[in-house]
Amino acid sequence: MGWSSIFWTFLILLGVLVPLTQLGTKTRALQAIGIALLILGIAGGLVLAAVCLWTGLSISIRLPNVGYFPVSLAIDGLSALFLFLICSVALAVAVYSSSYIGRHYEAVEARWMWALMSPFVLSMALVVTASTGFAFLFGWELMTLVSAGLILVEGDAGDRIHNVYIYLLMMHLGAAAVAACFFLYWPSAPGLEFAAIRSSSAHLSLGVRNALILLAFLGFGTKAGIIPFHLWLPRAHPIAPSPVSALMSGVMLKTAIYGLVRFAFDFLGGGPAWWGYLLLAAGAVSGLLGILFALQESDWKRMLAYSSIENIGIICLGLGASLLFWSYRSPAWAALALVGSLLHSLNHAYFKSLLFLGAGAISDATHQLAQDELGGLQKRMQTTGVTILVGCCSIAGLPLLNGFVGEWLVFRSFIAGSGLSGAGAQVILPLFVGVLALIGGLSGACFAKAYGVSFLGRPRSQGAENAREVPWAMRAAMLALATVCVGIGVFAPVVLVPVSQIAGGLVGTLPPSSELQFFTVMPRMGAAILALVTASLAVRHRKRVAATWACGLPALTSRMQYTATAFTKPLRMVFVRVYKPDRKIEVLPEDLPYFPASVSYRSVRTTSFEKSFYRPIVERVVGLAHGLRLLQTGNVQVYLLYIFLTLVGLLVFLRFAR
Amino acid sequence: MSTALAILQALFLVLAAPLVRGAVGRLKARFQRRQGASVWRPYSDLIKLFQKEDLIPPTASWIFRSAPRIVFAVIVTAAAFLPVFQTTALAGHRGDFILFVYLLAIGRFFLMLGAMDGGSGFGGMGASREALVSTMAEGPLLLAFVAVSIVAHRPAIAGIVEWTVGQNFFDISAVHILAFTTLGIVSLAEAGRMPVDNPTTHLELTMIHEGMVLEYSGPSLALVEWANAIKLNVLLSLLIALFVPWGIATQLTWQALVLALGSYAVKLLLLAVLLAGIESVIAKLRMYLVPDFLGVATALSTLAVIFTMIAKR
Repeated sequence: MGWSSIFWTFLILLGVLVPLTQLGTKTRALQAIGIALLILGIAGGLVLAAVCLWTGLSISIRLPNVGYFPVSLAIDGLSALFLFLICSVALAVAVYSSSYIGRHYEAVEARWMWALMSPFVLSMALVVTASTGFAFLFGWELMTLVSAGLILVEGDAGDRIHNVYIYLLMMHLGAAAVAACFFLYWPSAPGLEFAAIRSSSAHLSLGVRNALILLAFLGFGTKAGIIPFHLWLPRAHPIAPSPVSALMSGVMLKTAIYGLVRFAFDFLGGGPAWWGYLLLAAGAVSGLLGILFALQESDWKRMLAYSSIENIGIICLGLGASLLFWSYRSPAWAALALVGSLLHSLNHAYFKSLLFLGAGAISDATHQLAQDELGGLQKRMQTTGVTILVGCCSIAGLPLLNGFVGEWLVFRSFIAGSGLSGAGAQVILPLFVGVLALIGGLSGACFAKAYGVSFLGRPRSQGAENAREVPWAMRAAMLALATVCVGIGVFAPVVLVPVSQIAGGLVGTLPPSSELQFFTVMPRMGAAILALVTASLAVRHRKRVAATWACGLPALTSRMQYTATAFTKPLRMVFVRVYKPDRKIEVLPEDLPYFPASVSYRSVRTTSFEKSFYRPIVERVVGLAHGLRLLQTGNVQVYLLYIFLTLVGLLVFLRFAR
Repeated sequence: MSTALAILQALFLVLAAPLVRGAVGRLKARFQRRQGASVWRPYSDLIKLFQKEDLIPPTASWIFRSAPRIVFAVIVTAAAFLPVFQTTALAGHRGDFILFVYLLAIGRFFLMLGAMDGGSGFGGMGASREALVSTMAEGPLLLAFVAVSIVAHRPAIAGIVEWTVGQNFFDISAVHILAFTTLGIVSLAEAGRMPVDNPTTHLELTMIHEGMVLEYSGPSLALVEWANAIKLNVLLSLLIALFVPWGIATQLTWQALVLALGSYAVKLLLLAVLLAGIESVIAKLRMYLVPDFLGVATALSTLAVIFTMIAKR
């Protein structure tokens, strides 16, 4: 009873009280209390989720029916994991925002921001704890609308309204597919309670199951930003305020992963091998294109948005491998791959929200996010710099940090694919090791560039030159997330044990325990590396600060450093087919090409899914609509003819329908 | 005894690394009809550098001094993964080769950061090129490991070595030949040797590794150079361990260990001759041909994985 009352408190605090304190009064003190209540509520949810996750407790609460539809919430293992993810990131984001929002927004905007952020967190919690279709769809829709509202708090100038429009449009296409998924269960499980859905899934025909997985892939894939449904992601995430981007990229995308796992694993219980191949292909495309696009972005938030697509790709690779193993009746390895994906979802939530908060700190300190205008920030913002470095190393999948843990598990399951009985699968799965390694290598390059150009060397602008460290609340939030990244990286078994229980529960068999023991090597290895580094740093040497030799010039300037654009030039040339860059070089004055006063270089990617994938579809649809216009002549006789023809058609249909 | 030997072989990889580098340099000189420097020269270089002062650019942060130390630490740790004289190593877990590859990645990541912290143009130049080479090299490196691991049915480096020792050399499969070639190409790229990078040049058009370490001096430079030498030694020893381990001690007797040391030295020398030969007869590739060179490695490693289907017994 005690735990479910905490759950109730969580729901009421986030859904009612906090928005009321923000919008209902103009008293500063009450608003501050509201923020405190929000943090308290999220912390309560976090404790609840942690208890459910580590003790296996499950809770369910029933709410009044809405019309015909029953509404209830329940926390089982999978829900607990995602609730934990949501609350832990939201807690850091709320602490960060308590300082950030006040510094960046007017009082009115700040009130709306808090009033919307609270239901945003609530809506995500609803999605992952819903145990009826109606509750799920309610949370799903609320999540979209509230997040769009959060983007619009800053106003609707310029492209913003267009980008939000695309966001809403794509989200609703996705939501339609998700709703269709649920309503396909309507005949067999009226009321759409998850328990009924689960038990009726076994009796579905293969055709319906295939339709379900395709719809789920479309619906959840749109939310997750799988290429080619990713169009909204690089538009919506960069324009949101940094704490909101952290929530959207770190957390909201994961609700789609939750939905996909819920449908494919929990409800449908795996399926034919092609489901696995579908997710593997989608994961490989999203992973590779996501990181390649991220590599060429020199704006922090756009880069991070594309890198989210890449990480969703890695998660899909794991899910695909898991489904493939399951279809070949090798559930232990299916569980291992699933553990890899679930863990990578958790890890990505931490390092991505850390990096988005870091991007907020960069813009707070320097008033810009273009990497080519930054530089030398590490000396000016020590704590922020270190936390962002941790985030960059994690996202690059370096060992001793959390990013490596999930990727290692996915790697291992790919290699284990060689033991499968299918002749195709046993070669294809191991080959995906190469794909994942390429993704890993590219993300290493991408984030070495991002951190190196922004934080090291000389400042490239006045803003970077005058950067000051951000206030303590922001630093504390980032430090906490960075600590979690290192913690999971070094002491992975702490989270591996509950997550493998969950995966085992879904698949039916626990993952091979010998594989999970691998991570016991991490603390020792970390200690060894740390000891070597500190020992070699401790050895006393003579040190002297001396200006770098400038090849005979008076002094080195910041313009002589490589910029982000220059750094990625070699990779841009190698992957020229992916980018098809449009290069513009302007030399001024034009009549003296060898003695330029200024040279400007610009290189833009010209390939886009919008142009090559969506535009033709839209044009086709519009063309079809124009064609249909011929029907509308405006002549009454013609409409009477239509009615007559319809009647005849229906009669003929009825004649032959029996 | 076994653990002591494991520590000893890791220490050997670390301490003998400059000698290997010196030997390759000497052999190269001989190929080019020069006298060449003594094989011990890299040691005196290191001692000299350790006695000098560390020059730090005024704009650099703590990353600048830490990067070489981190690079050194992770390469030394990676050395602990390799069986050299006996078929076990300090770290020998399932899937340890993934960790091994990613440890090398940590080294590269921080070397790139250190280079960019110097604040000059050359650091960024080197880092940018290193990013290109390492990105293209990681895939084939892992795939080659995977292929060998599948054929051996062993999930760890030490296990693969143990299995290979039990096989007949003339029984060796196409997978091994493909994987060996892949690892050879990748080693050249990873260790910054010809035809990917010229370790003796300081020409800005071509340098990769040298560009990254240009601002380093004194002990920091010594650590980077030592780490680079260890990396070469580790990669060569990896080739030996995975593909021609015969002679390695399977029981811990004195005779077996002496034989292991002797055969290892001979194999290493042969590889050094091969490396010096390659570096003497092949010109450095144009920067933008390097991806093609590594593309060959990727293709070979992909084939290796595909052939495991046939080779599995």
